[in-house]
Amino acid sequence: MSDNGTLLAVEDIDAYYGESHILRGLSLEVQPGEICALLGRNGAGKTTTVRSIAGASPPDVRSGTIRFRGRDVTDVPVDDRSIGGIGLVPEERRVFSNLTVAENLRMAEVSRNRSNLIGRNIGEPAETVDVDVIYEAFPRLDERRDQLAGTLSGGEQQMLAIARALRQGPDLLMLDEPYEGLAPQIVNDVEDAIGRINDEGTTILLIEQNAIAAMAISDRCYVIDQGEVVFEGPSEELEADEEIRQRYLGV
Amino acid sequence: MSAVQELFSILLNGLQLGAIFALLGIGLTIILGTMNFLNLAHGALYLIGAYAGMLTMRVVTLRTGILQDYGFTELGLGWGFLAALVIVPTIGFIVGVLMERYVAKPFYKRPHTDQLLVTFGLALVVEELVKQVIGGNTFQSTSPDTLFGLQVSGPIQLPIVGAFPRWRLIIILIAFIVIGLTWLFMEKTDWGMIVKAGTLDSEMVSLLGIRIGRSYALVFGLGAALAAFAGLIGATFETVRPQIGTQRALVPAFLVLVVGGAGSIRGAIVGGVILGTVLAGFQQTFSQWGQIAMYALVALVLVVRPQGVFGSVEVEE
Ligand SMILES: Nc1ncnc2c1ncn2[C@@H]1O[C@H](COP(=O)(O)OP(=O)(O)O)[C@@H](O)[C@H]1O
Ligand SMILES: [Mg+2]
Repeated sequence: MSDNGTLLAVEDIDAYYGESHILRGLSLEVQPGEICALLGRNGAGKTTTVRSIAGASPPDVRSGTIRFRGRDVTDVPVDDRSIGGIGLVPEERRVFSNLTVAENLRMAEVSRNRSNLIGRNIGEPAETVDVDVIYEAFPRLDERRDQLAGTLSGGEQQMLAIARALRQGPDLLMLDEPYEGLAPQIVNDVEDAIGRINDEGTTILLIEQNAIAAMAISDRCYVIDQGEVVFEGPSEELEADEEIRQRYLGV
Repeated sequence: MSAVQELFSILLNGLQLGAIFALLGIGLTIILGTMNFLNLAHGALYLIGAYAGMLTMRVVTLRTGILQDYGFTELGLGWGFLAALVIVPTIGFIVGVLMERYVAKPFYKRPHTDQLLVTFGLALVVEELVKQVIGGNTFQSTSPDTLFGLQVSGPIQLPIVGAFPRWRLIIILIAFIVIGLTWLFMEKTDWGMIVKAGTLDSEMVSLLGIRIGRSYALVFGLGAALAAFAGLIGATFETVRPQIGTQRALVPAFLVLVVGGAGSIRGAIVGGVILGTVLAGFQQTFSQWGQIAMYALVALVLVVRPQGVFGSVEVEE
């Protein structure tokens, strides 16, 4: 942990796709245990932000620092960041449709117990969560263990994507539009799952199109626009700030 | 020959050609699927396998080439087929890993056209090197007479088909054992699972903390070992010359890729057998139409199902 206990600190990063400059001096912090929402219009740079934090490429982070548990991980490769406890459930679920449910969950485990993280500045590898605990939390996956992930419904695939990330026991779980394309009833299920995960101690950074729902579930919010932070503060404060909401979120 | 007899003999020959096509196709398809890398040097691995196989199995007389100029007229170990069965795939694996590291890796993020150019260049270099060093002439194939004390040469009487070369039957057997082992590796091991996941979404694999780079080297090595193995088998029933890499391996491997679909091992196996059977069928009946029939089949697949029989995605430009 760093001095002030901040879990994730993104400090003044600039991120590019090729020559197009997307994130412009963006900074944000996530405190342990909270649900932090990342809001903004389509194309504002939310996905780019979480991909930068996860270490995925593109984008290319050319300046600034990303600190996780107080360590500078800016140059740590994507796989090592994941081992170190930064989990990302990317847009569009990305389950391995050619593997079974059980294999998808196993994918989150095979990389563990890696002793060669020394010198990678990521600290202790995160402890994996036992698969039975995962199945208990997601009974519908339990029933479908041997089914190919590609045959699951959209909601089930989203559950699997979350379960797979959880299996890694991340300290920070970033969810990029987890409700996208799901029926309202399923959205409630996924929302419940996220609430439970957080109750059990996992910190969450949530990207959500539906700002109202996001403000309701989160402790704090960031609003970004054109790659810059235009609002940060407690969710209630954003709910009260009509101007920001109108201007950057359209609600 | 009765029609039934003819049909069964076509099927057997088709299986034999198909097995080799499948061995080549598997490597090409997993490399394309996993790393999104188009490898025109895949045929060069077959070429290396064929020469390495020939030189492990027997001693050949050189007639041209640099080695011959320097007085080496006899080349080869003469250790036989079983030794080659171990040595050739090992060489293929090592060459594949080196190729991944020094040729493919710098081009992963480049367009397919760049990959095609560099690997085609490499294929030409390998072919030319073989030609210059060992000589451009054609070497006759040789198959062993006995394996483990059992006779493997000469014809064997099969039900329905009648007399069939015993060695071809053994090739089918060995090739399908190797294909089966590859299949088991992909289906039953964590490595295989990672590779399969990687063919679909390699970034997601690394987002789960897996060092995909190591799987890349393994995949390349495995694909190369299979291609070299195909070359070894090829050298036991076809002539060995520098052009076989392109003519006998690269072209069929790409056709298998188109029929089977990118990234699908099952597609490569089925596509290989289908193409092999079509080719064998035409060779036996209207021999001059064999190659054309194969291309026609590929064209048909492209029109009807551009993603291949088992592929889920179309090969991008
Ligand atoms: N792979 C990419 N290559 C080039 N530009 C991209 C790429 N991905 C996103 N962008 C651009 O970056 C900007 C931010 O995108 P993104 O982070 O996906 O926004 P959000 O997730 O907030 O909708 C957009 O203008 C988008 O067009
Ligand atoms: Mg987005």
